[in-house]
Amino acid sequence: MKKRVLIVDDALFMRSMLCDIFSEAGWNVVSEADNGEAAIDEYRIHQPDLVTMDIVMPEMGGIDALKKILLEFPQAKIVVCSALGQKNLILDAINAGAKDFIVKPFQSHQVLEVVGRVVNEL
Amino acid sequence: MDIAKFRDMFLAETTEHLELIVNILLRLDSDPEDQKEIDALFREAHSIKGMAATMEYGEMARLAHHLEDHLDHCRKIGQITRIEIDWFLEAADLLEALLDDIRNNRPESSVDAFTATVPETQPAALPIAAEPQNSDPADSKRNLSIQLSLHETVAAPGPRFLVLLKRLADFGTVLKSTPSKEDLLQGDTPSQLLVQLETDTSPEEISQQLEKYSELQTISFPVAEEKKENKPKNKPIEKTVRISTELLDHFINLTGELITNRYQLQNALKKQDWNELDEGVGQLTRLVKNLHHQVLQVRMVSLESLAGRLSRTVHDLSRSSEKEVTFQTDGMKIELDRAIVEELTDPLIHMIRNAIDHGIEKSGTVSIRAWRERDQVLIEIADDGGGIDLEKIRERALEVGLLTPLQAKSIRNYDLLQLICQPGFSTVEEVNETSGRGVGMDVVKTAVEHVGGILLIDSTAGKGTRFTLKLPLSLAIIRVLIVECADIRMAMPITRVVQTVEIAASEVQSSGKQLMIHYQNELLPLLSLRKILKLPKGGHFDPISVVITEVLGRRIGLVVDQLVRQQEVFIQRLPAPFDQIRGCSGGTILGSGEIIFLLDLQSLFERRRN
Repeated sequence: MKKRVLIVDDALFMRSMLCDIFSEAGWNVVSEADNGEAAIDEYRIHQPDLVTMDIVMPEMGGIDALKKILLEFPQAKIVVCSALGQKNLILDAINAGAKDFIVKPFQSHQVLEVVGRVVNEL
Repeated sequence: MDIAKFRDMFLAETTEHLELIVNILLRLDSDPEDQKEIDALFREAHSIKGMAATMEYGEMARLAHHLEDHLDHCRKIGQITRIEIDWFLEAADLLEALLDDIRNNRPESSVDAFTATVPETQPAALPIAAEPQNSDPADSKRNLSIQLSLHETVAAPGPRFLVLLKRLADFGTVLKSTPSKEDLLQGDTPSQLLVQLETDTSPEEISQQLEKYSELQTISFPVAEEKKENKPKNKPIEKTVRISTELLDHFINLTGELITNRYQLQNALKKQDWNELDEGVGQLTRLVKNLHHQVLQVRMVSLESLAGRLSRTVHDLSRSSEKEVTFQTDGMKIELDRAIVEELTDPLIHMIRNAIDHGIEKSGTVSIRAWRERDQVLIEIADDGGGIDLEKIRERALEVGLLTPLQAKSIRNYDLLQLICQPGFSTVEEVNETSGRGVGMDVVKTAVEHVGGILLIDSTAGKGTRFTLKLPLSLAIIRVLIVECADIRMAMPITRVVQTVEIAASEVQSSGKQLMIHYQNELLPLLSLRKILKLPKGGHFDPISVVITEVLGRRIGLVVDQLVRQQEVFIQRLPAPFDQIRGCSGGTILGSGEIIFLLDLQSLFERRRN
């Protein structure tokens, strides 16, 4: 069965790019969201195998969304995406429960390695 | 963090804790229900455990933990038994041995044999007492060290290590990591991550999981030995002292004043203002004297730490020999140079052993007393036992050839007593555990003289024996008497000088070949320093300058050409191979630039006798 992923990012460009990477690799992109609130709603509906979560977004940011999702679904596997300069945000996200992180700009194989090992974690 | 550099501090502190433990135990011996002491004991064991674990000295941490467990039990019961006290003392010895291992860069000895034991507990014991061994649950799980490093190109190494650390935590309990999770969260960007993991997962499996992280450059599982290699090997232990910040402030102030003084002197010199120069030099004298005094303070330690070890010795010996021994101490607040205290620890223990073993018969008192007399410290070890049997000494001395039959008859009691310090002299035929450890009185005497002191022996049949050690306060800076012979100046420690006298040539008497002088109702042999040093014979002086001194337990008059003066000098040991020169124990450079050697009369006379 195809692995199901939810892509959260406020930039359409990033969402499209991730969508392509996942689809080409045989993933099922179940939904997309452009802010934290929407991400929580989409997670409740689809309960995907994995979430890629942008950290810096308008209204509710990625870390708050991540905390809320994990509060409700402790088993949720969330990988955060962030730009290189935001090291402290990445650290906070990991501390808050993100399984791993992807640094923008990224290449498809890097993304796939990270998400691959996260969904296959025991 | 480089743990190794904390080692010296660890050693110093743990030694102090250990001393405290022994002292507390000995106090508990007389009051086994003192809650405060039991609590204090618990805290000491706890401190040692914490420090040892931090330094990764596993055996010591395990032992301290075991003690802590049992002390917890004692706290609950509210008392400690004699058997338990002995058990804890045994543990203290073991801790001491482990410290010794660490000090000498040896792997720690195993404490398994000891941690398997539990002292017999009092009947009122709570059920907990039956199995305090459960302190060691780590057996089924293994303790794994994992070392990880990343490729240089990895974008965010800090967060990456944090993810890896969290991932490793999935396999067990992270006991310790370098850097820690907190450090990583603070933004630490290390070049590698070292994790101590308690896990039941095999290294192979963990390695497999980690290989999924292409960011990782190396994954290794260092074993304990490898870890030790990171630590510097055979690095000599620096001796450390603790000094109060107040004293440090004094140093800063003095340094400041010295700088001011320098400018004052430079100024005076430039202006050729002799009055001001004179004043400046006076100021300098005061400052240096003050500085010297403060520096000496830093080196000073009280005899209290020593007293703890001695009372421990008394405790152990009175138990094993089944003698009732009361131990009295007095003046243990007296301070001495650390080096002197260290040098004298073993000799003092030996004298205490002797006192209990040979002096006291069934019950009695052993005392150690210390007091200051001008710039000397006197330590007296006394017992109220049977005293030394002079006849036995006489027999023994004849037997080993220390005395001729004629000398044996005429020798004075005082001189006879001093013979027990001769190498190879021992009146005890059978060697027993207590006194037969190879440290004879000759070693004691050598140690005392090595630090520039004198050992006096005094014994009265039926009343006991008394050893008195006359010691200098400090080793490095001492007061010396400078004398001159054949235009060569030499120094001798003032502690070895009884008195200096000038006598008229007519007062010298002769007894056979030996020249003698009267000194305080005693006839003292008169010896010439020129002759001893094989210097050319010189002209005759009248009056004759004589240094009354004590060597090999006897007073003698030492003839010198001239008594120059007394002064304080900084003695430096001579570097090898000059340290082998007998009769010379160091040197100093006088203000004039002249080098002066320190005469070691003792070894001079020994050489002469041989």
